[in-house]
Amino acid sequence: MDLLIRIAGEAGQGVQTTGNLLVSAFAEMGLHVFAIKSYMSRIRGGLNWFDVRIGDAPLYAGREPADVLVALTDEALETLRPYVADAGAVLFDADPEEEDTEAPAGCLCIPLTAIAKETGGSAVMANAVAAGAVFALLGYDLSALTDYFATAFEKKGEETVQANTACAEAGADRLGEEAAGSVEAPEPGDEAVTISTGTEAVGLAAATAGVKVATAYPMTPATGILTYLAGAAEAYGLVVEQAEDEVAAVNMVCGATYAGVPALTMTSGGGFALMVEGLSLAGILELPVVIVLAQRPGPATGLPTRTAQQDLLFALHAGHGEFPRAVFAPGTPEQAYRLTRRALETAHRYQTPVLLMTDQYLADLVMDTPRLDERLRPIDRHVVADAGEDYVRYAVTDDGVSPRALPGGEARVVLDSDVHTEDGHITEDLEAHVRLQDKRMRKLAGLTADALAPERYGPADAARLLLCWGSTWGPCREAVDALNAGGASAAMLHFAQVWPLEADAVRRAVGLEGEEAEAPEAITVVEANQTGQFRQVLAEAGVPMECESLTRYDGLPFTAADIVKRIQT
Amino acid sequence: MINPPSDNRPAWCPGCGNFPILKTFDAAVEEAGTDRRRLVLVSGIGQAAKLPHYTRASVFNGLHGRALPAATGIKLANHRLEVVVTSGDGDMYGEGGNHLLHAFRRNIGVKCFVHNNQVYGLTKGQASPTSDPGFVTKVQTRGVVLAPVRPLALAVVEGCSLVARSFAGDREHLKAMMVESLRHTGGTVLLDILQPCVTFNQVNTYKWYKERVKPVPDDHDPTDFESAMRLAMTWGDEIPIGVLYRSDRPSFESQQPALEKGSLVEQFEQAR
Repeated sequence: MDLLIRIAGEAGQGVQTTGNLLVSAFAEMGLHVFAIKSYMSRIRGGLNWFDVRIGDAPLYAGREPADVLVALTDEALETLRPYVADAGAVLFDADPEEEDTEAPAGCLCIPLTAIAKETGGSAVMANAVAAGAVFALLGYDLSALTDYFATAFEKKGEETVQANTACAEAGADRLGEEAAGSVEAPEPGDEAVTISTGTEAVGLAAATAGVKVATAYPMTPATGILTYLAGAAEAYGLVVEQAEDEVAAVNMVCGATYAGVPALTMTSGGGFALMVEGLSLAGILELPVVIVLAQRPGPATGLPTRTAQQDLLFALHAGHGEFPRAVFAPGTPEQAYRLTRRALETAHRYQTPVLLMTDQYLADLVMDTPRLDERLRPIDRHVVADAGEDYVRYAVTDDGVSPRALPGGEARVVLDSDVHTEDGHITEDLEAHVRLQDKRMRKLAGLTADALAPERYGPADAARLLLCWGSTWGPCREAVDALNAGGASAAMLHFAQVWPLEADAVRRAVGLEGEEAEAPEAITVVEANQTGQFRQVLAEAGVPMECESLTRYDGLPFTAADIVKRIQT
Repeated sequence: MINPPSDNRPAWCPGCGNFPILKTFDAAVEEAGTDRRRLVLVSGIGQAAKLPHYTRASVFNGLHGRALPAATGIKLANHRLEVVVTSGDGDMYGEGGNHLLHAFRRNIGVKCFVHNNQVYGLTKGQASPTSDPGFVTKVQTRGVVLAPVRPLALAVVEGCSLVARSFAGDREHLKAMMVESLRHTGGTVLLDILQPCVTFNQVNTYKWYKERVKPVPDDHDPTDFESAMRLAMTWGDEIPIGVLYRSDRPSFESQQPALEKGSLVEQFEQAR
């Protein structure tokens, strides 16, 4: 069984703090968790909410109905109450000043803020009061929460631990005996569950891969990675620099990789648009530049804090001129960790830019994640150490990859954004232009051979196949389970690499080709954009197929129910 | 296929101010004792930006206007390298203006040699950010109306470590300024080099500059902000050349704990 707790209020009220507190405490109790936040592009006010889903089995996505709503404002109550399940409960932060006004019917009214001030001495601890009340409501032993306080607030001192504990206890007491345990909740597990956000996974993977320079101009939803790396800078020995704009950010990464360190930058659609010229530069200079493109709805400024998968075709075709690239699109924090490293490795193996596409949903979600390796394990840069005075940077080779030396030694390492000869110097020799262009594009064969095949989930002979890429992994997986539980026959194929695609591998995976080829009766491409971009990519990769598009582009993530309902109607 | 002839001789006009800058640069590298194995020349696009191809060094000839961010990335990754930007006024003061401003603030140890001929050469004669008001071109047909960029004043305001000006027609002075720049270890250097464009600028000629350039007064104190600003804003009948300003701000790299144990590239190699 599983349960969803929704905490809602204004920006600045501690919605996220309460959510994070519950997520961490639940995970410590051995519950499986999945959490997402839904927030507005502002610093104070508005309506933000944080969904914490907990279960006795792994969870892969969010859902719309809530079993518990913690409403911190009237607006939160009005807007979100219709989405509370029939047997659900609503906790409302009652204002004691207005005690004679009638409490909203059916709500459990608790003056969270007033209790926090009275018990903890600060309104900030309303989070602890709310968490205590939620724990009591679900019938969980409060000690699991207060044990968590002891470790989480250890650095802040015993006083903070005590105050938060007192607040949680007061919240639980105030809920009252009648309501305690009134919402059926999943059984905690035996062992603590490890969790991660998409953002943390990307940041940790970059730091452990030996990234030494990270630059960015802050842009939601990519900023979290920059913040993570700034926090990790001391431990991993890297420099994080906030650039004056995205143009500078990507050109700094070009410079840093030329000088020999793994480096990356991160942005969202608008910032990526500014990086396009630098991407093309990395293409002709053959630099191992990695850009994380955390998508949000566009065009232009769009919806800064919402999610989308609208930049796929843009990412694939960004940059003037023609040059090879690889594009990865992880579906979970665990994949994000693996693929961030792979993106860096691929960029260095082939000396060409690589993009990692995430989105607000993946960046912010929290879910069960196997413990991610925190040890520094620098990647192979594929550089030559013994280049002499006769070295040329762009020697023509069969696979298109030239021996790469670094500046600072005997070899002069010459790079030019103009068309150049093998030695890197500017030329207008058109034969050299074609020779070097062909050399660069030959890397595409290697990139294609190395491409990750799509991963299948569900029965091999399923009648319906869902195709998805990037962050739709979780909602599709839950949709497959729901469809099959309902008697249908469904499977999914998830693409964690969206370019280049190996056409034969894709055909085999779909069932269009191979010894026991059995094409599914229906193929649905699920993606968070309006025009079915991945469907177009499949055709471009040489795998056109009869399929329908199931799209969503309102800025909110897919849910399993959403997919199932639309498939069945 | 008709293949145009190609060689690696300078693509500059006969008499171009870039020739003396190139010769003087080579002499300055010699005199400063700069190890050419550690020398990286970074440039953007334009006639001046081609200089790195005509000498011996490692080269990052990047995008128009983007020399500074690339140079910053290189210096960050390996601050043991001598990173010198050589590019023109269009590249550095126009297309790359935002980077210039923030480079001064950052104060990383990159030396910027800006060949300033007050005109766009490679695109054939349009106004540059430093063109004087009234300068007539095929685009600015009634003369430039924009106020000129004052790069040295901007550098002084933002605390650039060393701010200097020289003239391509005075090679001894230019060499002295380049040597001083190469030996400087305190942070960003801006060396603005007045350079005639013999093809597209018939106003600011060798003669025009020669009549106006004047060494900064002997009693000028380059650590005096107000005095430096006065000189930086002096333009017209007299144009001061020499070291205008020195700031005592610490360099960017000296404030990075990650660089205390060596360059990032060395640290990466040690960790492997």
